[in-house]
Amino acid sequence: MENDAQLVARVQSGDQKAFEELVSRYRERVFRLAVSILGREFVPEAEDVAQEAFLKAHNAIQTFRGDAEFGSWIYRITFNQAMNLKARVRFRAPHEDVSALDQAVARDPGPEQQAETKQRAQALAECMETLPEVYQSSLRLYYWLGAGVTEIADLLDVPENTVKSYLHRARQLLHGMLKERGYSCD
Amino acid sequence: MTEPLNESTPDLLPHEMGIDQLLRQSMSASAPSLSPDFDRRLMRTLNRRSQPFDRYRRILLTSYALVSVVTCVVVMRGQGLAWGPVAGMIVAPLILVATARFMRRTTKSFSA
Repeated sequence: MENDAQLVARVQSGDQKAFEELVSRYRERVFRLAVSILGREFVPEAEDVAQEAFLKAHNAIQTFRGDAEFGSWIYRITFNQAMNLKARVRFRAPHEDVSALDQAVARDPGPEQQAETKQRAQALAECMETLPEVYQSSLRLYYWLGAGVTEIADLLDVPENTVKSYLHRARQLLHGMLKERGYSCD
Repeated sequence: MTEPLNESTPDLLPHEMGIDQLLRQSMSASAPSLSPDFDRRLMRTLNRRSQPFDRYRRILLTSYALVSVVTCVVVMRGQGLAWGPVAGMIVAPLILVATARFMRRTTKSFSA
């Protein structure tokens, strides 16, 4: 099986099939990164971001000299693309959708407890929106998309210890913010 | 490359257990996946965008460019300009556009 560098060289010489191979290798990870940045409410938009990232990569592939891995390059394009879109849709409501909140509620018996759980989940969603983007992305990748630390490090192009620190710091911040709002996390 | 959902969080400090559980609970919705026709749509868009101008558009643009150049030359010569400045004024914008395009592509690839 050809490696990425060989495929890139083939794309640069005009081989469309090689680009299709690169797309099939990276589409899922690119999409996961996009959706982790944009959140649950924006799954269709994340797909558009993934598509646009590949189109941009294809347009600029002649200038790709292989100083970095193709993966890091496409993830960087995706990250920037998703951040641009997020900046444009920031006015929209918090990303945590109602179905997720309802699922959380369904596990707790009693109307009072249900209301409390729902409010806490809503507060958590709001607090998450205030975290730095890389923290939000790490949390979604880890807790929602089931990514491991290694995969997150690969997608965000940071060392694994940095991902651990993002997750740790994000949890600490969320804990503090929820406590400030009067919700217990214990 | 979808990994199974993490069963336990490594390096979790005791006071983080609660928030860890809360995060798991609030993000328990199933992970989304790409539409099955993603590749097909992408390649279709790619082909559409990279399609060269059709014959009609090319003829139209070339004619427009030629008429513009001839008009410019006639007008400038009519104003008494020598051939040197006339040629310079026609070629300079083209060089400027080509340079700007090159610079933009270089910057884009650098930032990408």
